[in-house]
Amino acid sequence: MKIVGVILIALAIVIAVVPQFLDCQSQGRAITLADGRLIPMKCHWTAVAEIALGVPLVGLGALLALSKRRETRRALGVVGAMLGAFAILLPAALIGVCAMNEMLCNSVMQPTLILAGTLVMVISLGAFGFSFGGKEVEPA
Amino acid sequence: MSLLSLTWRNIRGNAFRSWVVFLCALVVAGFALSTTLIMRGAENSLRLALARLGADIVVVPEGSESKVETALLMGTPATVWMPQENMQKISAVPGVAVASPQLYLSTLHDASCCTVPDMFLVAYDPATDFTIQPWLKRRFGNDLKLGEAVGGTHIFVPPGEQNIKLYGYFVSLKGNLEPTGTGLDQSLFFTFDTARDMARISHTRAERALQIMPDSISAVLVKVVPGTKPQDVALGILHAVPGVTPIESPNMFQAYRKQMAGLLKTTLALLTITWALSVVLLGLVFSMAANERRREIGVLRALGARREYVFKSLLAEAVLLALAGGAAGIALGAFTIFLFRNLLISSLGIPFLFPSAAPLLVLVGGGLVVALVSVTTAALVPAYRISHQDPALAMRE
Repeated sequence: MKIVGVILIALAIVIAVVPQFLDCQSQGRAITLADGRLIPMKCHWTAVAEIALGVPLVGLGALLALSKRRETRRALGVVGAMLGAFAILLPAALIGVCAMNEMLCNSVMQPTLILAGTLVMVISLGAFGFSFGGKEVEPA
Repeated sequence: MSLLSLTWRNIRGNAFRSWVVFLCALVVAGFALSTTLIMRGAENSLRLALARLGADIVVVPEGSESKVETALLMGTPATVWMPQENMQKISAVPGVAVASPQLYLSTLHDASCCTVPDMFLVAYDPATDFTIQPWLKRRFGNDLKLGEAVGGTHIFVPPGEQNIKLYGYFVSLKGNLEPTGTGLDQSLFFTFDTARDMARISHTRAERALQIMPDSISAVLVKVVPGTKPQDVALGILHAVPGVTPIESPNMFQAYRKQMAGLLKTTLALLTITWALSVVLLGLVFSMAANERRREIGVLRALGARREYVFKSLLAEAVLLALAGGAAGIALGAFTIFLFRNLLISSLGIPFLFPSAAPLLVLVGGGLVVALVSVTTAALVPAYRISHQDPALAMRE
């Protein structure tokens, strides 16, 4: 289960860090209001929200790598799958990204988050499923 | 013990070896599927674009061939002009059944109407058009009126608005054409009357007026008389109308075809290298496994297991791992290509349309076969050798 935990930590870092370099704000693009003020585009808020998912996912990966009890792995698997689902939903439905296909947030950031979120879901559900089989390691 | 349970125990018995085989199958199948998907997607896209144009010959001003091809294929707006009188000259060429003029225009940069920074605008003549009109008749039963337009699949009315605003002119989006994966997906089609009205209004309402050269057109789409060779008609146009280039439909997008051929060669070379390296690595892994398990197999044979049983159990292990790794590689490859298709189009500079379910299933099957053949080939010799060893000798070692 250690390797699963390490993979989840790596994916969590991707989810939290990659959007910070691919949103329109990081590319120097913003919405100009009629009064001249600049406000961030919605992909920026998606990038910020992904930090809130990535950080607990790092902790979850560490706990999964260290945990020896089946029940703990089962619970962590369910929580991981939910966090993965939200990592997908934030750019795809809940907040979204900019509409233009040529923008980095649309062509790279959104697909990266959907791919990473899907992998988190699959791995977490795998950890959940495998927690029902095999021998339990007794804590020392 | 059944063959399947023995195979499953073997797989679980050496997790590292099983993971190596699984990952090799994943890489081979995933890479094979991804490269095939890209090439087939690009080819499919070109075919659909040609079908959408529906013309046997496209006549463009001399020297603007690549500009027009890039506009039609990649959606990069092009404004090219030739005298309107060329239309009559082209219509008079023997072998021309229908000739229809088009005007190629462009939006202002970063318009809020669509998913592209520059939208390609195509104005057509409803009296002669054979590209958009048949689709409109089929779909809506009537033609486009003044101020109405149809768009490619990427064109939409901005949220909260009723119409698309172009040069201060409100265009009503009547419908969207099916996706082609080319620039036609980010193009807006309307009639000549709408284009002229837009140009008139733009002088007072737009940041920058829409310029349409008087008595000019951008291109002429030609359908030849059935039974006539398009090549002969193209030669006729070349002789009868100075200052134009007729491009036959099969010769269109040649630059992109060459680019794709180059890409195909590179990916085929990479695929071959990856496949060969994976088979060698798998061969080594299976040889090591065979040596490691000499005594174990010897005991199994001494207990009464036949050579075929041992051979089958080793091959079954390879087949199971190949199928699992291949399926994972295919799912990952197809999903990644689907997600990053827009990045592919912009970075490789080729059109791309993700295949529909039936062709995709064929490709998935092909990927699985590649993984299966690779792993089984690598496992065949070690499995044969170990199943034919003398059990007494093996146990003594």
